[in-house]
Amino acid sequence: MIAIRNLTKKYGTFEVLKNINIELENGKVYGIVGENGAGKTTFFRCIAGLEHFEGEISANQNDIKNHLGLLLTEPFFFQKITGKEYIQLLCNARHIKIADIESKNIFDLPLNQYASTYSTGMKKKLALTAILLQGNDYFILDEPFNGVDIQSNIIVAEIIHTLKNLKKTVIISSHIFSTLSDTCDEIHLLSKGSFIKSVKKADFQILEEEMKQLTIGNKIEKLGLK
Amino acid sequence: MKEYLALQYTITNRRFKDAGIEPILAYIILTIGFFGLSIYLFMKTEFAQYIYIFSAFTLVAKLSETQRTEFLKICFGNLQLKKIRIIENLICILPFLAFMVFKLLFLSVAVLLILSVILALVNFQTTYNYTIWTPFSKHPFEFTIGFRNTFYLFFVAYILTLIAISVNNFNLGLFAMLLVFATTLSFYSKPENEYYVWTYRLNANHFLFEKTKTAMLLTSYLVLPIVVILSIYFTQTIGLLLIFFLVGSGFLILIIVTKYSTYPKEINIPEGLLLALCIWFPPVLIFLIPFLFLKAKKSLNYLLK
Repeated sequence: MIAIRNLTKKYGTFEVLKNINIELENGKVYGIVGENGAGKTTFFRCIAGLEHFEGEISANQNDIKNHLGLLLTEPFFFQKITGKEYIQLLCNARHIKIADIESKNIFDLPLNQYASTYSTGMKKKLALTAILLQGNDYFILDEPFNGVDIQSNIIVAEIIHTLKNLKKTVIISSHIFSTLSDTCDEIHLLSKGSFIKSVKKADFQILEEEMKQLTIGNKIEKLGLK
Repeated sequence: MKEYLALQYTITNRRFKDAGIEPILAYIILTIGFFGLSIYLFMKTEFAQYIYIFSAFTLVAKLSETQRTEFLKICFGNLQLKKIRIIENLICILPFLAFMVFKLLFLSVAVLLILSVILALVNFQTTYNYTIWTPFSKHPFEFTIGFRNTFYLFFVAYILTLIAISVNNFNLGLFAMLLVFATTLSFYSKPENEYYVWTYRLNANHFLFEKTKTAMLLTSYLVLPIVVILSIYFTQTIGLLLIFFLVGSGFLILIIVTKYSTYPKEINIPEGLLLALCIWFPPVLIFLIPFLFLKAKKSLNYLLK
């Protein structure tokens, strides 16, 4: 479980996250939605310990970061490092020994090719494979479905279900509502640094409708399309 | 094009300001430092002009980065790109040219000029379908990437070692060994993305020890063939060889702690000056390494708790 108490993050005088309180339980999948700039990535970076913040973030495992698999929206890859070496690097960093990386290549990636030459989707699949092989207890998946082909999206969704069954804590952000409604137990709507709405699975439909109304409003009419 | 060059000038000044140094002061320090090191280099070795040309060429080659060139091509088109690249390369080698003119090395000046212009006009292949083999695949990332970028320099070093033996020139062999050290030092010149530090299940202390241990071990694999061969053929100079090996290892530790002492920022002028001080008087390493180690630990603490 990850418990977040009074989390506030400021950049200078600008408050990106405002007094956030939430408990993220084991064996549950949480969706975080919000407009661009709502504070999702900052929220994730705070949990990961990549940002200084006010408040408290605690977990069953005292040092969250050493048990956290973090999938960034745009994973960074070095030039001239192969997919296999990338996985090796991330496993070495967590003292995980994997005898046969090739056998874990469920997305059929060209592991002996430089990762920097991969497509956006392939990069995401590689980064996901690496954090899964690290044997983490907590997962933050920032846009895991973005840029990934349909077949792999099915696999990613299945992986998330498996992680849930293994009692892992999973936090996902996505701009595609259906991907969240398929995988999450709860969805939290982040707006201007605060959670303004939290809903359980039964009410996902209502949340989607509300978000549509709130987001679209009469914006399309303004275009005056003919 | 004029705007682009003005922008580069602004960006450079901004970097100095970010490092807490007034640009004008930075230019003065860099000029004095550059000419000071050049004089020292030419005083110390007969291979100075080759090292000089090679250093200038390496610097210019860095500007030929594929992604950067592609970006410039999209912005300015092919013709303007070539003009920009030639001007950039000439600006970069200008200090080297000035010093070589001062030394009356006109042939070297001509060689460097031609090489720089050629480098500006040549388009490197953007995508490679092959992966360069590396013996360091199990220990990513510094040596894996570094070896792929500079493997030819190790061949040069080994060939120089063989030449050193055939012409009975120990100094040349020593130069070959130092070339390997200098090359592996360059693997640690730039800070990596914070994700690749954060992901380690180590505290700052252990992280630095681990990085140092790996660097020394893998550098030893590359240097030892030269050390062994030189020890066999120049038995009376084993002591000197050992001293240079220790100093090389000291610099390797120094570059790692320096890199992380400024993390996540790049190594800048103040650290560069400290490095230059160590090159001039290596015993300073004994004091500087622990000092920078503590500074590096402090810099990494926020990522590695």
